Amino acid sequence: MATAAIVTRSLTKSYGELTALDSFDLEVEHGSIFGLLGPNGAGKTTLIRILTTLMRQSSGDASIEGLDILRSGREIRSMIGVVSQENSLDRYLTARENLELHARLHGMEKKLYKRRIDDLLELMGLAGRQKDFPDTFSGGMQRRLVIARALVHQPQVLFLDEPTTGLDPQSRRAVWEYVRSLAGSMTIFLTTHYLEEAEQLCDRIAIMDHGRLIAIGSTQELKDRLSGATVYEIEFAGQDADHYAALLGAMPCVIDLKQVENKIAITLECWECLSEIVTALNGVPVRRISLQERTLEDVFISLTGQKVRE
Amino acid sequence: MLRGSLAIWQRDMLILRRSIISELVAVVAYPLTIYLAFGIGMQSYIGLVDGAPYSMFIAPGLITMTAVSAAYNESVWSLWFHRRVQFTIESYRVTPISVSEIVIAKIFTGFTHGIIKGCAVGLVIFTITPFRFPLEHLLQYLLFLIPGSALFSCAGIISGTVMDKPETIGKVEAVLVMPLIFMSGLFFPLSSYPPSVVSWVRALPTTALFEGARRVLVAGDMQSLAALQVSLSAIVAFVAAVCIFRYKMSE
Repeated sequence: MATAAIVTRSLTKSYGELTALDSFDLEVEHGSIFGLLGPNGAGKTTLIRILTTLMRQSSGDASIEGLDILRSGREIRSMIGVVSQENSLDRYLTARENLELHARLHGMEKKLYKRRIDDLLELMGLAGRQKDFPDTFSGGMQRRLVIARALVHQPQVLFLDEPTTGLDPQSRRAVWEYVRSLAGSMTIFLTTHYLEEAEQLCDRIAIMDHGRLIAIGSTQELKDRLSGATVYEIEFAGQDADHYAALLGAMPCVIDLKQVENKIAITLECWECLSEIVTALNGVPVRRISLQERTLEDVFISLTGQKVRE
Repeated sequence: MLRGSLAIWQRDMLILRRSIISELVAVVAYPLTIYLAFGIGMQSYIGLVDGAPYSMFIAPGLITMTAVSAAYNESVWSLWFHRRVQFTIESYRVTPISVSEIVIAKIFTGFTHGIIKGCAVGLVIFTITPFRFPLEHLLQYLLFLIPGSALFSCAGIISGTVMDKPETIGKVEAVLVMPLIFMSGLFFPLSSYPPSVVSWVRALPTTALFEGARRVLVAGDMQSLAALQVSLSAIVAFVAAVCIFRYKMSE
């Protein structure tokens, strides 16, 4: 079996008494898009900084494409691309010069990087602005340029640390399209606060909190893991919703009930309970019964809590 | 090994080329004002100092001051800006170059700024004054100017590495760098100091730099020990700058 693209084993990082990463174990498959979610301060950026060799772990091991991050830093950096949270573009260089500098730092030959940069600028829709300075770009264009820079040397693993933070919805979707277009050609490791982003892009998602991995799987697997409870919304046609709420609330299979005017959301123990509900409401003027799908946000909140983090 | 250093230095030189006129105007204005005010304006009141007209006495110091100040300022602000504002240092660090290559590039950038700007001020002063220094003196003067610029570039790198707030950088320049320059015999002979202080002042590498630079340029009096002291100080500062930067980046 081929080695996973990214592997961590009991990876730990402490700052004094604070443990930012706590025995973190992870495997990311080759060619997959892997999402890492977690509230502020969960340890996501610390993990990315360790994996990109910007920071040393306190203990444990990690490898990229089979290379140990402590022993093979230079080799690893030659095969990874990094889009950091900060917009680290050089504002005194044009868009093209930013890419050229990056190519030279990677030791690329001029004839090789010239063509590659042409292609990337075209792909990112920046060819017409290649002689302009990044300060004159919109946030979305700057972000695309940062991604283009990370791709100049054709990395095998691409790290995207909150790549769409601060972008408007159109720009965000444009970035998603570029990321999607890369799928399969390289391994992509993505951290994000936008759960929709993870849901749209990622093959597998890990949720971490307090430096620990607390859940991992596909979006559907994570949703399935969120207890067997099922939520239905029932909309009544008449004015007796209060009466029906009392009726439903008294049923043992109803775990939770919330009423807003003539709509009642009920949480059932399991979907099989629905037939009992339908029987109980026989003859009642029901306008609509709809299943409320669990979202990744529900999973995230249930695992990490609702409390706002500093 | 120094591929990364070369790429970053070339980037810095591209930026310098783009702004060379405004940079030179700004950098020449200050020493030239001092030269006109003190060297020309006060000359008739001061007369000869150490056997030389006052304007000639201060000229080597002003050239040296311009060079080392430019080296220091470029290094400290460039490193701070790229580290704390633009985050470009971080973007360099995720490429296959070493931290040492980054800091060496920045030291050479500061050094290059110092040499170019020092030479620019020198050319202006030589153009507007009747003083002409023999070519031999000028070449020997480089034995002070080059390590002096390197020394201050390394000092700038150290400041830009350890200081996170711009106001702290300004304070250090005001209370440490400029006094060291001004008290090194730039505007007055060291004999003006009380005898008990002179030996302390002479021990400073900045004194060796300014005093040695003036003596060799004005009188052709090459102070080899002073040149050696400046060079050794530059080497020590270089090692310290690389080590401190590496340590800071590993935090």
